[in-house]
Amino acid sequence: MLYALMGLGLSLVTGILNIPNFAHGALFAVGAYLLATVAVALGNFWLALLIAPLGVALLGLAIEYAGIRRLYAAGHDYQLLFTFGLALILSESIILIWGPIGSSYLPPEILRGGMDLGFTMYPKYRLFVMVAAGLLIFATWLFLEKTRYGAIMRAGIENKEMVSLLGIDIRMMFTVAFAMGAYLAGIAGALTAPIRGLNPGMGPDMLGIAFVVVALGGLGNLLGAIAAGLIIGVAQALVAAYWTEASTVVIYAVMAVILLVRPQGLFGIR
Amino acid sequence: MKKLSRRDVLKAGAGVAAASTVAGFPSILRAQSKEIVILGLWDQTGAFADVGPINDRGMKMALEERGMQVLGRPIKYITRDGATQAGTSTRRTEEAVDGDGAKFVIGPWSSGVALAVSEVAKRKKVLHLFSGGTEDISGARCHRYSFQWAASPYTAAKTVVDSFMKANPKAKRWHLLVADYAFGWSVEKYIKEVGKTHGIEFVGADRHPLGEREFSNYVQKAAANKPDAVAMVNFGGDAVAGAREIFNFGLTPKVPLIMSWSSGVEELVQLSPEIRQNIWVGSNFYYTADTPGAKEFVKNYSAKFGNPPGYAPSAAYSMTRLLLAGFDKAKSPEVQDVIKALEGIEVNDIVGRMKMDAATHQNIRPYFFMRCKQKAAMKHETDFADIIATGDAPLPKEYAACKDIGSF
Repeated sequence: MLYALMGLGLSLVTGILNIPNFAHGALFAVGAYLLATVAVALGNFWLALLIAPLGVALLGLAIEYAGIRRLYAAGHDYQLLFTFGLALILSESIILIWGPIGSSYLPPEILRGGMDLGFTMYPKYRLFVMVAAGLLIFATWLFLEKTRYGAIMRAGIENKEMVSLLGIDIRMMFTVAFAMGAYLAGIAGALTAPIRGLNPGMGPDMLGIAFVVVALGGLGNLLGAIAAGLIIGVAQALVAAYWTEASTVVIYAVMAVILLVRPQGLFGIR
Repeated sequence: MKKLSRRDVLKAGAGVAAASTVAGFPSILRAQSKEIVILGLWDQTGAFADVGPINDRGMKMALEERGMQVLGRPIKYITRDGATQAGTSTRRTEEAVDGDGAKFVIGPWSSGVALAVSEVAKRKKVLHLFSGGTEDISGARCHRYSFQWAASPYTAAKTVVDSFMKANPKAKRWHLLVADYAFGWSVEKYIKEVGKTHGIEFVGADRHPLGEREFSNYVQKAAANKPDAVAMVNFGGDAVAGAREIFNFGLTPKVPLIMSWSSGVEELVQLSPEIRQNIWVGSNFYYTADTPGAKEFVKNYSAKFGNPPGYAPSAAYSMTRLLLAGFDKAKSPEVQDVIKALEGIEVNDIVGRMKMDAATHQNIRPYFFMRCKQKAAMKHETDFADIIATGDAPLPKEYAACKDIGSF
């Protein structure tokens, strides 16, 4: 579910802005660090879970407004270099602010420990994350499918010029899309913090998987990103049950096989 | 004005070349004859990027203690990023040897990478000191140029299993989580060997790649086996991620977790006290070691960096001191003289009494076993654990794979 959440955010940015966002992983890490910082400061995990992703969304807003906006007319090389540089700046900023050594942040008391599901033990917090991520994905889908602005965004993915010609402020749409992508990365990071802890390298770790999800689902295809995220997660869990050592490799093996059969991805058209 | 002829240009060229020979080349020769160049091969990128900078700290401290001098000659300390990769590490070592005149190499941190660097040391005839969990450097792939500072994987396994079983005699069902590279295989082998003597049943053993961060699948399998104890043979970020996930699944603190080859402080600081509750830790160094060398080093390191040293800076510090002791004993800066001096050398250092076995180049020294403290028992933020045992049982002859260390 977390893979789907990350992939959805990245797909939104890739689809609407047509930019390969290499800073998506770093935004994920910022979300995790912000959650721990706010939770410790307020002494409340749930409030922190609300505030931290909003902070990342604001950061995304600023990044789009001050930086990416200037590069829409430039080629992919410039955009790629910018987002790559941004990822490095954000990662180094994490080290400067929170230090180079990782740390742990525990789930709230009520979600600690494992739950016996009858056939296996599973951490309560991971079950919560599954439900929360599922709800977030559903809410994002509702927004994109059932609201007017969502329809405009989907139209923007298909044909930006046409949307612009209809008198819609496409620049504002780009800003909103980037902030939404950042929010989804931020909340994925915040939800992950109690599972994987905090360390400055956590962003790049997740970025690779997010790109696999986007490529597998079809560039810019939101439904594809959700489906690909779930497929990757399920494949990883299934393989791990029988051949633990291959649980990481399977992510890339699944991508390779599917792209060989469908080079445009599961739901992609380009 | 006379035009420049071809002959004039050639003459000028010859003059410049001669001047370089007279002025420049001897200066290089002079530098080479005076300076002793020591390379610290420490990872600044890759899986052990977080360890390299603190290795560097430890090595610098040892050199600075001696005023960056040995045998009355200045020491030129150079450091290179091995990137936790065999290719990069061997290339940069060769560059440092050929380009910078390094004849003494300490590092890197990964066992698998160190084995490749050890081959470079053998080929280039430079002295190589390493600390890690592979038994091959002082075992099947031993040679005259490489030395192993860390305890033998057998010493570590024996200390950990014996001490743990003494405290938990009923914990007979073990599940292992093992890093899938040279160090993991070596320690796993001996944990199983020593385990036999205690009647331990290994109900599961899963291997994971270096740099693994998603341990839920491994832990799910471990939980399904209902073990009395889980033992990890991994290191750094892998160990931290594994310990965290084992806690998230609710295995610890009910089931004890053994970190059999831990960096100590650097790993424990990343785990909250709740996670550390029932963790037992084996390490090559812990900062409360009751030796005069450790007390002095810990005091100086803590004053300089604000936290006590773990295994990584301590190993770099002690390896450097060992090398310098080799120079002192040899009274010569020549590689082969220092190697001969190190063979069989006995010193008292931060871990206690150490003896470098001349036949295998394996350091025979104590290994530490700790039990983590409960949160309420911690006197300060870094009061993570108590040392409950040390062990220095050397590798029995029947296991020794280094039959002949060979010649120069």
